[in-house]
Amino acid sequence: MTTNASTNAPANASAEPVPRAAGSTRKRTSLGLGRLYLRRFLRNRLAVVGVVIFALLVLFAALGSRFTSRTYTDADFTALTQQPSARHWFGTNQGGNDIYACAVHGLQRSLTIAVSVSVLTIVVAAIIGSGAAYFGGRVERVTLAVIHFLLIVPSFLILALVSHRLAGDWRVLIVVLTVFGWMSTARVIWSVSTSLRERDYVKAAEFMGVGPLRIILRHIIPNLGSLLIVNLTLGVVATVLSETALSFLGFGVQTPDVSLGTMLADGAGTVTSAPWLFAFPAGLVVLLTVSMTFIGDGLRDALDPTSVTGSAGGRR
Amino acid sequence: MLRHVTRKAAGWLLMIVVATNATYFLASWFLDPRSNFKELRPVRSEAQIDRALAPYNLDPTVPLVHRWWDWFTSVTLHFDWGKSPTGVSVNGEVGYRALISAELVVVATVLSVVIGVALGVYTAARQYGWADRVSQAVSIVVFNVPTSVAALAVVFVAIWLNQHAGLHFLYVAGENSPDVEGLLPTIGDRLLHLILPTLTLTLMGYVGYHLTQRSLLLDTLHADFVRTAQATGLTRGQAIRRHALRAALIPTAASVAFSIPAIFTGAVITETVFGWNGMGRYFIQTISKNDVHGTVATAAFAAALTAIGAILADIATVFLDPRVRVS
Repeated sequence: MTTNASTNAPANASAEPVPRAAGSTRKRTSLGLGRLYLRRFLRNRLAVVGVVIFALLVLFAALGSRFTSRTYTDADFTALTQQPSARHWFGTNQGGNDIYACAVHGLQRSLTIAVSVSVLTIVVAAIIGSGAAYFGGRVERVTLAVIHFLLIVPSFLILALVSHRLAGDWRVLIVVLTVFGWMSTARVIWSVSTSLRERDYVKAAEFMGVGPLRIILRHIIPNLGSLLIVNLTLGVVATVLSETALSFLGFGVQTPDVSLGTMLADGAGTVTSAPWLFAFPAGLVVLLTVSMTFIGDGLRDALDPTSVTGSAGGRR
Repeated sequence: MLRHVTRKAAGWLLMIVVATNATYFLASWFLDPRSNFKELRPVRSEAQIDRALAPYNLDPTVPLVHRWWDWFTSVTLHFDWGKSPTGVSVNGEVGYRALISAELVVVATVLSVVIGVALGVYTAARQYGWADRVSQAVSIVVFNVPTSVAALAVVFVAIWLNQHAGLHFLYVAGENSPDVEGLLPTIGDRLLHLILPTLTLTLMGYVGYHLTQRSLLLDTLHADFVRTAQATGLTRGQAIRRHALRAALIPTAASVAFSIPAIFTGAVITETVFGWNGMGRYFIQTISKNDVHGTVATAAFAAALTAIGAILADIATVFLDPRVRVS
């Protein structure tokens, strides 16, 4: 039964937008598909571990502040650079700030930035990538040239340059990270869309006089669904890594605001004398990225059984 | 073949020029050297500040296009990259730093490619063996560790080793010791300082090559031409090395160029952690001091590194891929 379902799955997925009249059967198959995806996903033990870790991290970021009366800005001048204790669960830093409160807030900040940047990046990359593939010709050549140029230019330097002036505000950081982060995803989406533009249903829509924007939004992008979801999770990893790097160097989130990157920077000077300043944010960052990677791998296997390798290449 | 490489090299040269000039405009928009004078006492007037900046071609009252043209001509005619807002020559600052950073980036890149590809080939040939599973797990975790965390972890382990194992050759700060004299001791001293930063960068770099090379080789291992090669009497190892690996190396060679910006980014962080006075740290200093010319020179250096890597990758592709030689 399982083999039967898995051979049907790709055919169903690619034929999804076509059947309009058969509404009732469509609903049933899509429900079955959802259950199938779920079962495949749950079979991947690492992916389940990833979901559990990620859920715990989200809970920690959302509810962690309820277990302490301190906020990340409160300074306890009677306890400077204290080891983890019953009073300060994760210890305190040189200014007497409670590391537990900082970690909750920093994780919140890093998560918000990572999720919103990767969602925005996927939207931008999907529109530009599939647009370039659909229009072809000069549009495609120019877009690809721009993408390749931006990929080769050390975008981190430009990122640092731009965010030095604008950042401090994490909302600006989201915009800046999106503007310089969409290229590699757009390239992957472009290369997959080039085969989609030749599909019969795209041709059929063209002959019926459907406009290009509608074809891209209704016919090409929905068929990239699994690729987009997988890239969304990998985008979270990439964003966490670049946000940490920028904040670590002092170009991203800036004091008095706290993110995991700024906490790493604070702990950098006291790795041996006060290792807890560095260990807690480092552990949280690694848990976050590793869990997202596990989830991404699980989703890729669940949504696309034909893909063996996937795109593990791009990393900034 | 030579034509292919020269055409590519010309493209990369154009890329450097465009990237450098684009950075000049970006830096001029986003960095404001006037703000350096804000904290000085007695308070300077706007006109005084502009006059102080004028000799260094940073006067904001001069139109940006004029400043750019002056900068552009001095770079192309005299290879003079301008001066910082305090009048320090960028050429003098960049000269020795570029060597330090290039040393770090080149050694780390070469080591990453060699280790990553070797590990990828070894594990792909033994898919699902214990070596494959262990190295895969390690690589996936390392792939997700931020460079700053990795660098600090390396520092932590090195200090611990120094204290507990009585080692004295793991240096966690600086690119050389101040009191070493003579040629051979200097070289040895520099090499010892190079160990930990290079280790960090290699750790961050090899993972990508390992994971991609493994999956690329797995794709070609089951190809018909590899089976044919084995049918003609080659051993499995020979068939993998001479036929499967050769095809699987082509995308890897092409990806080296795209990985150098990432290595350079890693170098910025490792230089900060290990206290190296290289280009990465210079870049951070120039940005925080609103030094337009210094920032642009760093970007040009990074672009040049990328281009060199890309040209080497193109040459490697020519050797590996007969299709490029024919067309």
